[in-house]
Amino acid sequence: MIFRDLHEMGILGINNRVGRYILRHNKRENYPLVDDKVLTAERASAWGIAMPENYLVVQNYGSLKNLQYKLMNYESFVIKPANGSQGNGIIVFKEVIKEEKDGEVRILCRRSNDKLMDIEEVKHHVSGILSGLYSLSGQSDSAIIQAKIDKHPVFNNFSYGGIPDIRVIVFEGFPVMSMVRLPTKSSDGKANLHQGAIGAGLNLKDGSTNNAVIRNQVIDTHPDTGYKINGLQLPFWREILELAAQCYDMVELGYLGADIVLTPDQGPILLELNARPGLAIQIANLSGLVPRLEKIQHEAPRNLLAKDRVDFSMNNF
Amino acid sequence: MRKIIAIITTLLICLPFGMLFYKSQVLKLSLLPEMVDDVWNVHMTAKPKGEQTSFSFPIPKPGPGIKISDERIRSKHFEIFIDSNSDSALATWTSKEPIKQKVSYSARIDLQPLSYKDIPKDFTETYPRGLNRYLKIPDLIPEDLAAIAHLESAILEGNEDKTSVIRKIYYYVEEEIQRNTSIKTIHETLNTGKGSPLIKARLFNVMARRQKVPSRIVVMIKMPERKKQQHAKLRFTFANEVFLNNKWIPIDTNRGFFGQRPDRFMVIHRNYEEIEKLISKKRLSYAIQAERARINKFNKAEFKKEVIRSDSIFSRLSLYRLPLPLQTMFTTILLIPVGTLVLSIARNIIGIPTFGIFTPILLTLFFKETSLGFGALFFFIVVLVGIGERYVLDKFYLLAVPRLSIILTLVIMMMIGWSLFSTDISFISQQHLAFFPIVIVTTNIERLSIMITEEGLWSTIKTLIGTLAIAIMGYLLYSIHSLEMFMFTNPELLLTVIGLLILIGKYKGYRLSEFLRFRDLVRQKKKMESKSNDLP
Repeated sequence: MIFRDLHEMGILGINNRVGRYILRHNKRENYPLVDDKVLTAERASAWGIAMPENYLVVQNYGSLKNLQYKLMNYESFVIKPANGSQGNGIIVFKEVIKEEKDGEVRILCRRSNDKLMDIEEVKHHVSGILSGLYSLSGQSDSAIIQAKIDKHPVFNNFSYGGIPDIRVIVFEGFPVMSMVRLPTKSSDGKANLHQGAIGAGLNLKDGSTNNAVIRNQVIDTHPDTGYKINGLQLPFWREILELAAQCYDMVELGYLGADIVLTPDQGPILLELNARPGLAIQIANLSGLVPRLEKIQHEAPRNLLAKDRVDFSMNNF
Repeated sequence: MRKIIAIITTLLICLPFGMLFYKSQVLKLSLLPEMVDDVWNVHMTAKPKGEQTSFSFPIPKPGPGIKISDERIRSKHFEIFIDSNSDSALATWTSKEPIKQKVSYSARIDLQPLSYKDIPKDFTETYPRGLNRYLKIPDLIPEDLAAIAHLESAILEGNEDKTSVIRKIYYYVEEEIQRNTSIKTIHETLNTGKGSPLIKARLFNVMARRQKVPSRIVVMIKMPERKKQQHAKLRFTFANEVFLNNKWIPIDTNRGFFGQRPDRFMVIHRNYEEIEKLISKKRLSYAIQAERARINKFNKAEFKKEVIRSDSIFSRLSLYRLPLPLQTMFTTILLIPVGTLVLSIARNIIGIPTFGIFTPILLTLFFKETSLGFGALFFFIVVLVGIGERYVLDKFYLLAVPRLSIILTLVIMMMIGWSLFSTDISFISQQHLAFFPIVIVTTNIERLSIMITEEGLWSTIKTLIGTLAIAIMGYLLYSIHSLEMFMFTNPELLLTVIGLLILIGKYKGYRLSEFLRFRDLVRQKKKMESKSNDLP
């Protein structure tokens, strides 16, 4: 059978992920907590879990009118849909420029890829978000204006453009597998594997990389910076895993993907959660999820605190 | 839980089959309405040669094995007289001036095979006077008469009944006279043992009449084969009929049928001697065409009677009790669940990406209501309109819902334009809902242009192709006419569909697409393992 190799390597397939893990371990009523980033942020602040600061949430078209006056107060910001997925609809602005010409004030926003956008274009994008263009179900949505996060110096040689993020799959509160997504030129500075970002698998025991791929192809060096990927070792590794493990307690989803970013000053903070995390992490790590998931299901002790669960994962995987 | 699911699934899948078994074995109902034979559209034209003000041509007449409807004879400029004597019909066109135009005749003709098995012995001595003309022996030269008498003494053994005599003459003419279209007189045939179809029919005719059996030569048209039927010009061909036991029995010595006439032969006249001169190529030119017209492939009306007669729970629940427009609607609607089976397999077991979940099925319905070529073309245009509209209206900064509505309106305008300017809209004229599915599909078009910007052109095209592929798979399934009828006749099969859907829903194995997705992973893993094994 052609699937024998996949089965032997313990690769998790989509049907299996949905049928055996997501549907069984994730309660439907808890989905809004992760799908709606406004709710996630509320819950996280109650639990003392750090997330990027939400400057404001645009909920209706009426508040679009005065948006430029509000945005003028910030040096940089990020616009994202509250119910988006796969990074769709997110735009990062690193600079807000005010131009005065003949007494008229014109506001331009510089994107992370240095392109300039007029404030009207920014508003148009926000209104697209509000009408549900990027939302998971296509229903109307709200837009979050959020603080832009800076890149941690450890990634200086490993990232082109945007901020890398760390994906941790958490099963019943135990970190299972992790990777870091490194933006490249071809991914337009986005940490999105679809668009050609690097996915580098991380060893759970110490946060060092074990392998790296671009679009399923194994690579050694970052295509834009030329640095060897396996020289990367993440700081605050234990904190990152503990943060991910705590998310399980926070939203009570058994099968969860936590996206974490490293900030230069605050250390690891939670960027967003995902109730249907993708399967590409297996390619980045060159190993399958199934054996680890089954080990947790059958061998891991129950009712542990987050830090004990992290111990179990660091020792076993 | 597992057990319960297994039991429910088994029940759902098997229960309808139990019902089918009950219906067919206990109630003796058929599971499908009987097929009604296709009918033929026959079209004939004729034009006299020379300066004639009147001419006649045979036209089909209803009789055993032949039903005629929608008969149309062009009557402008002419007076038409139809002579329907007891056996055949002859139309005569008359005009004050010499006829220089083609005259035409068309009709819808339903042919049934004729078959008389076990024809009893016949000792009839006297026949009604009307049959005398079928007993008159044509004039032959003495040499031929002697030859025929010689033959008779060789093949006939005296005191036999007429049925046996006819059978023997049939065997002789059918087997001993070889077909040869260049031999055109009885005289030559008797000398060479070869003959054209007409001569074989004539020889049989003479021999039968000499044995005092009423006999005639029938003029027939052999209907075209399915493949060649487009505009094939048809010719007359010949066979016989003999009067045994008060019935005209068909006999064909050219194609070897005794007491049978297959439904591919249409009798146009039952006495060749009468029209021999009329249809001669010297007097007129003619052309005959025939093609299959599929009116009602399944005989629903008969089946409805059968179902109601059975007076069971099924007869009360049968969809055949619904008014006809509803029946037509349900025949299509009942296919949708079957389509979801295809869709589920394509998405969850094969892993084909699609736009929106039910877009492929909507497309399938659209293709079915119009046609595959038109449907695919129209879908393609809709896609282009969607993408183009987005690029144009992008600069207007419109809100999403009005923008989507604009695409919708544009597509509807396209439909109107198409209907107004297209010459052939016959296939959409009756189905007022034909365009409805594509209207719904339009709402997904916006996502397509977003997908192009976000996931790239290639993955968008892949998704488009996936959507179309599933739609076409569904279309192929939907074009199986008997499947449609089977679902309509036995709607309880929907339970089976649910059962199968549960099975697919419980499938946790890999999708075929995942084999491709993780293929590199497996290869690279193996490469690494072999490298580490190489190390000392």
